[in-house]
Amino acid sequence: MEPANAHLTTLKGAYDHELMEVTVRVRRYAGQGASAETRAYTVEVPTTATLLDCLDAIRDHHDGTLAYRKSCRMAVCGSCGMRMDGGAVLACKTAMRPFVDAGHVVTVAPMGNLPVIRDLVVDMEPFWAKIRAVKPYLDTGGEAAPEKEWLVTPQQSQTLSKEALCIMCGCCVSECNSMESDPDFLGPAALAKAYRFVGDVRDGDARNRLRELSGEHGIWDCTRCYFCNQRCPKGVDPRDAIAKLGAEAFRERFERDPGAKHAKVFVNSTHKGGYLRETELVPKTLGPVAAITQIPFALQLARAGKVPNPLAPHKAKDNAEVKRLWKLLEAEASHDRDRAERPSSNGTEG
Amino acid sequence: MIRHDVVVVGAGCAGMRAAIEAKRAGVDVAVVSKLHPTRSHSGAAEGGINAALGNATEDSPETHTFDTVKGSDYLGDQDAIEVMCREAPGDIYELEHMGAIFSRSADGRLAQRPFGAAGAPRTVYSADITGHVLIHVLYEQLVKHDVKVYEEFHCTRLVVDGGRCAGVLAWDLVRGGIVPIEAKHVILATGGVGRMYYGTTNAYACTGDGMSLAWRAGVPLKDMEFMQFHPTTLKANGVLITEGCRGEGGYLRNKDGDRFMAVDAPNAMELASRDVVSRAEWKEIADGRGVDGCVLLDLTHLGPKKIKTRLPGSRELALDYAGVDPINEPIPVRPGAHYHMGGVDVDVWGESIVPGLWAAGEAACVSVHGANRLGGNSLMETITFGRRAGHATGQRVRDEGDVGARIEAAVVADEQRRIEALLRADDGERPAVIREELAKTMYDKAGVFRTERVLSECRETVHELRGRARTLRLEDRGRVFNSDLVSALELEAMLECADCLVTGALARQESRGAHSRLDFTARDDDHWMRHTLAWCDRGEVRLDYKPVTITKYQPLVRTY
Repeated sequence: MEPANAHLTTLKGAYDHELMEVTVRVRRYAGQGASAETRAYTVEVPTTATLLDCLDAIRDHHDGTLAYRKSCRMAVCGSCGMRMDGGAVLACKTAMRPFVDAGHVVTVAPMGNLPVIRDLVVDMEPFWAKIRAVKPYLDTGGEAAPEKEWLVTPQQSQTLSKEALCIMCGCCVSECNSMESDPDFLGPAALAKAYRFVGDVRDGDARNRLRELSGEHGIWDCTRCYFCNQRCPKGVDPRDAIAKLGAEAFRERFERDPGAKHAKVFVNSTHKGGYLRETELVPKTLGPVAAITQIPFALQLARAGKVPNPLAPHKAKDNAEVKRLWKLLEAEASHDRDRAERPSSNGTEG
Repeated sequence: MIRHDVVVVGAGCAGMRAAIEAKRAGVDVAVVSKLHPTRSHSGAAEGGINAALGNATEDSPETHTFDTVKGSDYLGDQDAIEVMCREAPGDIYELEHMGAIFSRSADGRLAQRPFGAAGAPRTVYSADITGHVLIHVLYEQLVKHDVKVYEEFHCTRLVVDGGRCAGVLAWDLVRGGIVPIEAKHVILATGGVGRMYYGTTNAYACTGDGMSLAWRAGVPLKDMEFMQFHPTTLKANGVLITEGCRGEGGYLRNKDGDRFMAVDAPNAMELASRDVVSRAEWKEIADGRGVDGCVLLDLTHLGPKKIKTRLPGSRELALDYAGVDPINEPIPVRPGAHYHMGGVDVDVWGESIVPGLWAAGEAACVSVHGANRLGGNSLMETITFGRRAGHATGQRVRDEGDVGARIEAAVVADEQRRIEALLRADDGERPAVIREELAKTMYDKAGVFRTERVLSECRETVHELRGRARTLRLEDRGRVFNSDLVSALELEAMLECADCLVTGALARQESRGAHSRLDFTARDDDHWMRHTLAWCDRGEVRLDYKPVTITKYQPLVRTY
């Protein structure tokens, strides 16, 4: 007997979606020596469709040979990083409607700084090798775990709120300028992961971590182009994590890397006079002997009119304001230090 | 030939937790997964993980047990539920010691939030990205313990040799080719099968691969008719908006602005059990009191601060996929297939009836969730039962030594032929066409409300689709990263799971938990307080039943 309320079994209009037509140009590459080409596809998808939905429509109904990675389609698994119009995006987090409305046809290609396997699929192993290189797990430094949880205040835990969001999609690495010239640079994702432990009050190995990270291919090899912050789909801001690592490394007196010295000159020079004393930059970064080898380069710059007068006083007009800013920064830093104390255990009572 | 003591298939929370524990037991363990571990769907879990820590208010494992038994509509095995609720606090502390970044209360202890059908605020969480935090901490431990991972290897077959599991055959997605991997013990931790439904919160990868592997290897699938529909999913793509939104005080409203939960759950309101809330929503929408096929999840009264600190992920999802900022306006939501209570029939250590074959997590059915899972219990299940399976297989390896199970060359050759034939096939339909038809059929006819008629139609369609899927047309014939091939393999698995689900649902003439029959509206403990077992009988589904384990909670009428 069919019950009177049998209409409840099926939702009417469950599949009603407004549709739109989208054209996507896709970089195709069959792998291993084949030549790459860009092919355009036009698909009909709901107006809410993302770039990933468009790729799915292509593969399901137009061209089953298109290769790309996907899984969660909700910007948490990190599978679908790729380049759209030259910059890294998560395909599943990129709505297509604005491009359609603007009459713009997007071009997608694989992420940069990683070897391409096929079409939009890159080899992520170099990425993961760098993650493994930063000892990516908590090390309490031999301190025995409490019976219950470590006590960590919300403020202490807050220091990791951004780095904890990282989904390892590789979008930052794809756009990293330093990595382009130095493929061995640890890169934004691994360094953000490193800060996730350095900044964790439960971790007891920060000093060793910072020593390692202060070496070649580490913290100081970042050129501060901020592309990683700009392209991170999760708001991790890897460049900020690298800056925090630099500050921590200074506190631990790991200052021997030329990059660290370079940063130090910036800091001291502006602290003193509110301006950067550029003539001091090279000798203090590289040391007096190595600086001599740079003289021909300096002369070349001078000829091009790019060297400031070394005899000018180099003191800022508003130096008092600079000093006030310094005070603010120092107060903020000491506040951060207060937060970063070792946790206590909660072994006695629930 | 590659050999390991223990092979874990799947690298979500259950699989990684199992592998870590087996490694700690000192045996040689490897993980085989079609995705890189951190891409697994456990990472999408949002709201939290339940353990009676008593940090927020007084709580106990006994209360957690009772809530779970009641939530299961008395189909959960009470011995298994007791195990989970007793061991949960220790497992949570261990995750915290591993480095999990959980949300904290002002005194530094783990914060706990209220969740549906729970007698106390019991859900430990990390804002609304709890699964993400757990999957990354477990991956960190996998790296620390130097566990071998075969990444992007799709298991196509379990090898049973002389009555025991001897390992797996896997397709190497990046390089192409079938790779045999021998093991003394195989733990299936491949997750659920939500993708057989059109409206689902599940990732594309959730295609029931492990369940299908076990079924074909002679292990029954248990309680497959119980698919949980989550009450708050987005219409555009099924993405989940966490129960934490209601835990934090969100309301559900119909098009008239009424909080309609007052009708079916006047006490618990929006925090009633998921099956109850999904049915109430479905009725509102089907009876014309919805808005564009949805009801409204209203968070506006929570204020921007609470939304930004406790529910930032949900806000991001609503902005990205519904174009709505929940600070200013309600989010349109509807029920979507979310969690499969059914799975590979295993005991409280994760062991199946085939020696050497184990399962944990959503792929398994222990059963702790019975007919309906409580929010926050699935992450807990993955950790507790993943750990137990890892521990038990580790012990077994040390006790038993070489068990002599081998993968014969002929078996490998046979599988290679099957895959090569699939790669060459060109006289059938595209996998996507059949997959889309399956997904709509299941959403329309095996959804929140069911009747004999729609289930019969559904079963007929599923059988027809299984027939049509025997000949598929692949367009990609290459060996490097051939996702067309994977989609064909996944379709096969989903169709088998769908057949088990609908066959079990048609037979079960009662309403219990997530299985709601409009033609048999009452729970019938005399006839149906028993587990359904779906066996593979020459490719067809054959049903059988077994009793539910009751320790101290006699069935009561379930109201919220």
